Amino acid sequence: MQRRTFLQQLGALGLLGACPAILPQHLAAAPSMVSVKQLPKLKGELTLYLGRGEGGLYENVLDAIKKRNPDFDLKIRRGPTAALANAIVAEAQANVRRAEVFWAVDSGAIGLLTDKGLAQPLPEDLTSQLRPEFRFPNWAPVTGRIRTLAYNTERLKASDIPDSILALAESDLSIAWAPAYASFQSFVTAMRLLIGEQKTINWLKAMNKRAKKYAGELGVVLAAERGEVDLGLANHYYTLRLKSGKPDATVDLAFTNNDAGCLVNASGILALKQSDTAINFIRYLLTTEVQSYLASEAYEIPLIGDLAPPAGLPALQTISPPKVDLTQLANLRPTLNMMRKAGVL
Amino acid sequence: MQKVFSQVKSVIGTFSLIAILSSSMVSAGGEVGDHVNHLSDNLNKYSEEVSWLIKKVDGIVTRYELDGIKAANAKAVIDHWEAVDFHAAIESNYVPVYALIWQGLYGVKESIDNNSGKEAVRAEQRKLEQVLWQALGAVKLAAQFQDRGLLQKVALREGGPTNSLETIDEIQARLNRVVAKFAEKLNKESIDIVHDTYLSLFEGIEGDLISMNAELVEQLEKDFNVTLPLGLKGNSSVKQIQDIVNDMQKKLSIAKELLAKKESNKKEVF
Repeated sequence: MQRRTFLQQLGALGLLGACPAILPQHLAAAPSMVSVKQLPKLKGELTLYLGRGEGGLYENVLDAIKKRNPDFDLKIRRGPTAALANAIVAEAQANVRRAEVFWAVDSGAIGLLTDKGLAQPLPEDLTSQLRPEFRFPNWAPVTGRIRTLAYNTERLKASDIPDSILALAESDLSIAWAPAYASFQSFVTAMRLLIGEQKTINWLKAMNKRAKKYAGELGVVLAAERGEVDLGLANHYYTLRLKSGKPDATVDLAFTNNDAGCLVNASGILALKQSDTAINFIRYLLTTEVQSYLASEAYEIPLIGDLAPPAGLPALQTISPPKVDLTQLANLRPTLNMMRKAGVL
Repeated sequence: MQKVFSQVKSVIGTFSLIAILSSSMVSAGGEVGDHVNHLSDNLNKYSEEVSWLIKKVDGIVTRYELDGIKAANAKAVIDHWEAVDFHAAIESNYVPVYALIWQGLYGVKESIDNNSGKEAVRAEQRKLEQVLWQALGAVKLAAQFQDRGLLQKVALREGGPTNSLETIDEIQARLNRVVAKFAEKLNKESIDIVHDTYLSLFEGIEGDLISMNAELVEQLEKDFNVTLPLGLKGNSSVKQIQDIVNDMQKKLSIAKELLAKKESNKKEVF
């Protein structure tokens, strides 16, 4: 499988209008890492809209922040990420701004709000903590996850697996996927943006003939591990977590090369009001401590400095994800229409 | 009655007596009222409603015996049940009995619609009456626990679980609702609850769980995605569905123990 590195692509990344913070001079400079010990104490009240996910690990982070800042009154509204994003838009239309900060489990929901002009600019000293490819002017990715091919190690060798997501449809491999799953739909959206609708529909149709559907992506990985299929399309952390609980699991990760099959997506946070408390709160999520915690406990990929990825995942620099403006993944409607047209949904 | 009481106590012991209702949750009889958080104040009303309902059903059965199917208008059995507040009181407090009530209601209705013999219809009527009294007993006991602050308040608006242990509680409550909706013959709604529960709740905790007990997660994955949906789509009885859900509840209790253990040894963020 061919590999290219992020660095090989970054020269072109500066051309992306949606990523104005990505400039060549950032390439050489390693982003600085900030410890919680360097941050000011949080004071006063802040209302956070929190997208549900990660089984409470985000809540553990919030609890830790509250414990460290006794004069900080954090009010949290929880719900599905997409529903909260819609609520924020509706509130804005009614000229109400209840939420001051929005922490979303996927960048698509972030895109919905940045497109509406609801996200406030973030200071450059904050965004510059992130790796260059994850710097955006008005939202901050918190942690990343990468699309992978989880394959059964008794049925396949890594070299048997195509390094192109398009080639997968032409292979004779049996495949598991979860088309109703949000991460899968983001991946198809990325493919649509990268190669266009018609090619994506053709791919979906071809894949649909050989793919077995599952409700979620852990189910996909389990199916690959049990040998029900040769491989499955899923976010990386399911395989890592399975191997953590079942070290002899017969499954491993492979990556495609520079296409939507190895898209790096991210959870993200944005400020809906200009306030020092909101900005400083976001700084806490980008500290070495929080990023390391989410990497070790949730198997998510840290996006600041040179923190190591979760155990079992190669360094991001050795994988070649495609160049996609993550905020554009919000536009799901054409994707869902395409998936229906292809008979996948 | 004693059996129901001991079941209720057992359920209270595992902190899952109350089926927590989310914002979108509406009882078959309409919006769940706040009366479910003031059970003691409403016990007389509930008792009167049960008596009224029993009388109404008896009237339907009697008309059937005298004048036949059309005159009986057996569908009214369901309408009468949906009209009473007691409906929400039992639905939000003890779903297993709630499901049995629906079985009883349909037992009467269908025995009439199928032109069954008088004895058979009366037998169904007696079963329904028995379960209604059991349900009233369960609500009375729940009222005592509520008065002593031992019951979680029924949420009338969306809050959402804040950690993995609360997530398990909500999953268990929703599975009880699956049985209830299936008993109401709302098969599609029950299947939707299963899918939504899997995607919006179980999916969020299974990552943590699988690193502790992969086999347990594999079994629950199959339960959520194969066993239970297939049962709901097929010609299963309420008891068969209840058995599947009971089995899942046991696994979820094991999952909760694992997550609680992890929570007590959790790594500090800072």
